[in-house]
Amino acid sequence: MTRGIEKKYVQLLRDYLAGQGEDQLYDAQQLGKWLLLQDISPEEMIDLHGRALEYLGDVPEFVRASFSILTEVMIEYGNEHRSVTSMRSKHKQFQSEMAVASAMQKSLVPQELPVYPDVEIGLVSVAAKQISGDYYNIVTHDDGRLCLTISDITGKGISAAMCMSMLKYAMESLGDMLHGPDEMLRHLNRVVERNIDPSMFVTMLFGCYDTQKHRFRYAVAGHEPGFVYRAKEGRFYDMEGKGMALGICSDSHYQEYEVHLDVGDVLILLTDGVTERKIGRYYLHRDELVSYLEAELGTSAQVMADNLYSKLLLLSQFELPDDYTMMILRRT
Amino acid sequence: MAELYPETIKIDSVADIVAARQVGRNMSRQLGFGTIMQSRMATTISELARNIFLYAGEGTITITPIEREGAIGLQITALDAGPGIADIRKVLEDGYSTSGALGAGLPGVRRMMDEFDIQSALGEGTKVIVVKWRS
Amino acid sequence: MDLTMNITRNETEHLVSLSGDVDAFTGPKAKEAIMTSVETPGVAVVVVDLSQVEYMDSTGIGIFIGVMKACKQVGCDFVVQNLPSRVERLFRITGLYDLVSIRKGESE
Repeated sequence: MTRGIEKKYVQLLRDYLAGQGEDQLYDAQQLGKWLLLQDISPEEMIDLHGRALEYLGDVPEFVRASFSILTEVMIEYGNEHRSVTSMRSKHKQFQSEMAVASAMQKSLVPQELPVYPDVEIGLVSVAAKQISGDYYNIVTHDDGRLCLTISDITGKGISAAMCMSMLKYAMESLGDMLHGPDEMLRHLNRVVERNIDPSMFVTMLFGCYDTQKHRFRYAVAGHEPGFVYRAKEGRFYDMEGKGMALGICSDSHYQEYEVHLDVGDVLILLTDGVTERKIGRYYLHRDELVSYLEAELGTSAQVMADNLYSKLLLLSQFELPDDYTMMILRRT
Repeated sequence: MAELYPETIKIDSVADIVAARQVGRNMSRQLGFGTIMQSRMATTISELARNIFLYAGEGTITITPIEREGAIGLQITALDAGPGIADIRKVLEDGYSTSGALGAGLPGVRRMMDEFDIQSALGEGTKVIVVKWRS
Repeated sequence: MDLTMNITRNETEHLVSLSGDVDAFTGPKAKEAIMTSVETPGVAVVVVDLSQVEYMDSTGIGIFIGVMKACKQVGCDFVVQNLPSRVERLFRITGLYDLVSIRKGESE
């Protein structure tokens, strides 16, 4: 500690003892902040106070001696102070590593949505924390097919991010060799089962939309399939489909399902961050979700997805405990 | 100032911990360490000696005045034949120190000292050597 | 909310009753307890009762998948009983419902 601080502190004490004003107390509080910035430990502060007393008059021996006890006690506080400082710098390093991981993860998903003359795509995907456990992909093919993936990986954080890059590259390399979505999931399941922790699993809906025939062929692995809106009837239906989540069994087989979209029909794909939503003390009910969807029907697919996200965020008091992804396909 | 010699204190009771602290405090005062450093030295010795007493049952603390390239310092060596530490990196992590388990307090010791060395093998024991230089 | 566990043992069967939340924070504790039972020599059946579970997320489901795989390896029967409706729904969606023995109704 420098001489300067000592002088300053003695002066502050002297001024205070002369008048006992709030001014000096305020100065002392500000000094505390400054001392913390200079990394002055509690025990050093005690020592400084003890030395400062000697300048102010005759210090009784029992007061002088009592400082030994106080110093000894404060060393533990000092240790804690030093440990917080070191944890803070580690935390900073960790945060910057997370930021890199998060940026890498964002590069795994499509940066812009494809545009078609009579199909609109809307998308909202928001991570609850820095790293998302939701994965989605939209891949266009020359033959007019539009392949959609929506997926939820158990757990969040680094393990989810690593699993996600495995999913993406496995799907890319499987992509052209396969016939249908059922085959895609069957092969992907084998890759996932062999390569992830036994307690992890992945839920997924994968399908291809034929932008000429307006037919969506898909398969489901442990994922909640979503909704289809029939404009003619003005009604929402649950999409059908079931299948074992990826990574549970080495030899899971999947079934192919199909929906056809007429003009005005809407397909809504989602992850459980949308449906497993706590509103106050109860969970969002499926019928409520449908009524919120219904209220947004007149708009474009993207506006509908955006509005629904805002609506649900408002309802849950701006808390987003789980990763949220919604993909909307609307035939115009 | 009288010539200072290394001293070894056998640790197998709380009274021994106190005795070791006293030796360390006196020696650091004689070497010209400030009051804060004297207390930190005593704290360091306490932590090392407590680890010996609580987990190994017995061992020794050796306090040695040292001189290297003109610098004056104090070296503490803690030695025991106790259970040993399985994962030294873990023990030195912050946050572990609140666990109260074997090795707790070592992160604090490491930060108070200038040099810190630890060797440990499971079932064989632990040796910790720390040095503080007079600034 | 926290998770509490109650384990009833006899020589060949262990019953682990979970109550509270099973999520990323409490999950490891539950998994450790269930796995200890699975790995106990002589135990042929491990039953997990979920009647008092208030919340379970996908990490919780992951535990049951991990336990199921471990049971297959050591040849022990894994039974899950008294699933609350939300939990049952998760078991059905993920497909786990068809892989483990589910017992109903007989709450103790």
